Amino acid sequence: MIELRSTLAGRITLTVLAILILLVLALPIVVIVVTSFGKDAFGSFPPDSWTLGWYKQLFAEGSKWPAALSLSALVAAMTTVFSLVLGMTAATALVRSELPLRSAVYGLVLAPLVIPQVVVALGLFLLFEPAAMLGSPIAIALGHTVLASPIAVMILMATLKGIDERLEDAAASMGASRLTIARRITFPLAAPGLVAAGIFAFITSFDEFFISQFLSSVDTVTLPVEVFNVLQYNVDPSVTAVSAILIAVAVVALALVAAVRRLSGSGAQDGLLPTETAVGLPAGSETAK
Amino acid sequence: MAVLAPVSDSTAPAHHKTPRKKRLNRVWSDRRTRFGLFNAAPVVVYLLILFVYPIFSTLMLSIEGEDGGFTLHWYADAFRGANLEILLTTLRISAETSLLALVTGFLLAAAISRLKPLWAGLAMLVVVVPHFISALVRTYGWIILLGDNGVVNNVLTDIHFPGAPFQLLYNEIGVVIGTTAVMLPYTVLLLYAVMKGIDRRLPAAAAGMGAGRLTIFRRVYLPLVAPGLVNAGVLSFILCLGYYLTPALMGGEKQTMVASLIDEQVMKQNQWNGASALGIILLLLTFAGLVLLRLGRSAGEALRKRGAAS
Amino acid sequence: MPEADVMPSLALPETLTGSGKPVSVTRLRKTYGGVTAVDEVSMEIAAGEFVTFLGSSGSGKTTTLMMIAGFCEPDSGSIVVGGHDMTRLAPQKRGLGFVFQQYLLFPHMTVWENVAFPLQLRGVPKAELRRRVGETLEMAGLSAMARRRPRELSGGQQQRVALCRALVYRPPVILMDEPLGALDKKLRDQLQTEIKRIQRELGLTVIYVTHDQEEALVLSDRIAVMRDGRIDQFDTPQELFERPRTPFVADFLGAANFLPGQVAEQTADHILVRLDTGGLLKARPQAVPPAPKVLAAVQPGRLVLCPAGDGFCTGTVETVTYVGTLVRVTVRSDGGADTGCVRLELPAGRAPALGARVGLTADPGNVSVFADPEHGG
Repeated sequence: MIELRSTLAGRITLTVLAILILLVLALPIVVIVVTSFGKDAFGSFPPDSWTLGWYKQLFAEGSKWPAALSLSALVAAMTTVFSLVLGMTAATALVRSELPLRSAVYGLVLAPLVIPQVVVALGLFLLFEPAAMLGSPIAIALGHTVLASPIAVMILMATLKGIDERLEDAAASMGASRLTIARRITFPLAAPGLVAAGIFAFITSFDEFFISQFLSSVDTVTLPVEVFNVLQYNVDPSVTAVSAILIAVAVVALALVAAVRRLSGSGAQDGLLPTETAVGLPAGSETAK
Repeated sequence: MAVLAPVSDSTAPAHHKTPRKKRLNRVWSDRRTRFGLFNAAPVVVYLLILFVYPIFSTLMLSIEGEDGGFTLHWYADAFRGANLEILLTTLRISAETSLLALVTGFLLAAAISRLKPLWAGLAMLVVVVPHFISALVRTYGWIILLGDNGVVNNVLTDIHFPGAPFQLLYNEIGVVIGTTAVMLPYTVLLLYAVMKGIDRRLPAAAAGMGAGRLTIFRRVYLPLVAPGLVNAGVLSFILCLGYYLTPALMGGEKQTMVASLIDEQVMKQNQWNGASALGIILLLLTFAGLVLLRLGRSAGEALRKRGAAS
Repeated sequence: MPEADVMPSLALPETLTGSGKPVSVTRLRKTYGGVTAVDEVSMEIAAGEFVTFLGSSGSGKTTTLMMIAGFCEPDSGSIVVGGHDMTRLAPQKRGLGFVFQQYLLFPHMTVWENVAFPLQLRGVPKAELRRRVGETLEMAGLSAMARRRPRELSGGQQQRVALCRALVYRPPVILMDEPLGALDKKLRDQLQTEIKRIQRELGLTVIYVTHDQEEALVLSDRIAVMRDGRIDQFDTPQELFERPRTPFVADFLGAANFLPGQVAEQTADHILVRLDTGGLLKARPQAVPPAPKVLAAVQPGRLVLCPAGDGFCTGTVETVTYVGTLVRVTVRSDGGADTGCVRLELPAGRAPALGARVGLTADPGNVSVFADPEHGG
């Protein structure tokens, strides 16, 4: 291969800079995980002595964290269900049919990813406030679904594109009804994609802050909103442990997705960051070939 | 030869109708189309009710006066005094952040695109995994790192860096660092994709013609990466505009951004109309960015479109 | 992995036999955005007949098949199978069988499950299902593979499973879309024989699509040669080969030599063509539309060498290529530069020497005459 060799000095500079930038990305996460096990929550880093005390404190008598955690889990679970239903039908419509105004529908589905979240949150607030639904877990889940369903749609579209459509034709030619095809052919083949879409919908909701902030009431506060309040007003050292748990949830979710993809043998998936696609920038679209 | 049996039944659709009507008829009668409409309905209805309608009512609220009539004074308010300052701060911080994310993203993407696949994969993991971890949590990590007794200041003091310790929190430095870290995965991924697509023989060919390293970078590499730079820059800018968490937690009074202002107006002042106007302004700025993005997608197209627009 | 690609000729299960139904296609038409893909195609296919749509890509053969299968809706025309109008029926309600080029076995099911699937759809009782799947797999020599997944099979085995899957529920008509297109030549020959045998012994009606004329000739009772969405000729292989109705058919099936000339004499038992190179060529009697110029078509295998000066044309042997038991010979004819070369296929033992002067003759029965389309025919 003919290519220009870079100078040694150039390589070293670039590598050092790259390592620094990677550190910038990784350090905030590492520091939380390490600090959460340190005795002195706001002391020096790395901590002098270790403890599990902050984690124990989370579930101590009178702690507000278990309620926030279970609310977040409930909301995330509902969001997952909503997003999967909407995602599967929408992906089917977009990939597997002749759809009039297809690009308009596609644009509508992806729009929530690029519209400022404040605007979405404000609009939802204006919708649910008059309905006296603020603080209702269902309202929060419905709001989260606006953000989570586009991600589910994109993952499931990629999944459906990866399933040979003619397998469904083959089943139809043998007499399988639409429902049977969905149940016996498409669903089993799409299962890994459904799992991935579900997991991403779950963590999108579990980590979502702004919509929850607008839609929560005094009694119903999701985990991220509680973390935010603690950080902004009265710093409680156990928030480090909560943050570490949130990190663990995300990492476990990503590992699950990776495992499912490996098990199902599907290759490289595109669209790591759905927003790229939302603004019409599929990875590699600008390649100069 | 083909058996030309006479057509006995008349089940064939009339193809003597006007073409347009025939097309419409076919659109509605086609099985695949009906199936598509049936499946697209849930998400479309859902988003119309929970996404489009709320934004529409935001728009209506932003032009509604106290007496219920039409007014633009909420917009006038938004461009006056403290509110205008906050708008300008938002633009300033977004510009600073996207520039920093662009430069660091460029360096990182350039380095990763030179790595062997295994190392490149690991590096990309470090880029992508944080993206899926709550931005709130990552911001908290930065608060721990950048505090007066945080790791960064401790290290700088230990190596006797002139001027250390620095005030890194509750000012613009903190906000820009924290927000850049949130935007970085976008710029890295976009630029990496572009850089991987560049034919590595092109710079070599330029060198073969006697071009120096700087010339090659400026005249060959940069123009090839330019579309990616525009995309990544505009994208991180518009994502910054409505960003709330990091500025709210890591900024001081002077780093209040529009999202914080909206939050305050709704939650504390019950000032929905003003908040709506601010929201619509953010929305329009985002649209402007998206339009810019579309224009910039292909240089030739952009030139043509701009020429036609002016 | 041991290849079990030879299908044993076992007795055919009686559960499968005698299921073919007639198909009648009337004035079928399909356009895609102004381009006519299928233009007024009509044909009658008898029960138990093997019919092939032969044509190059874009000829409309696959679209026609897809309309019969129900995967695409015709703009007009009708499709009747066994007396039932199926023109607007969904594919799943037609009850036909379909074998695809890409096999399209369900990757998440074993071979057994794949073949059992259509029977499960029909609610066939367990015991009968087990018997029928077993018999069908045995017939295809796949019993040992029943527990495997499609990806563990070779291409030939996969296509055989696909065939079983289409046979097992005894559809009245089986449609095959280039089913052997993805296989290598040797395997293709083997499976052709098997498909033909099964079709004949089970009395199946098969509609087969291919662009491979040899395959069409081997398999079919009748072939519909398609071009530009129309059927050029729908006939038995022999008729197509010996009495092509259009230059396209003569070229596509026989790779015929086209010799330009003018009709010199037309009688009840022959046509005499005065070739542009000067010679006279006698052709079988046939209807030729009046045209200033005609093309006489002779297939390379139907030409015979004779001493120079005899025959309808004299020339110089330019190339001699051995292709197994045959030699391909090109002869540059005298008299006229643009007449080009005449191609012959001769038994290997009769190869002429390079540069030899030879004459060419042909049996009048093997010569067809067409109006020359380039001269306003």
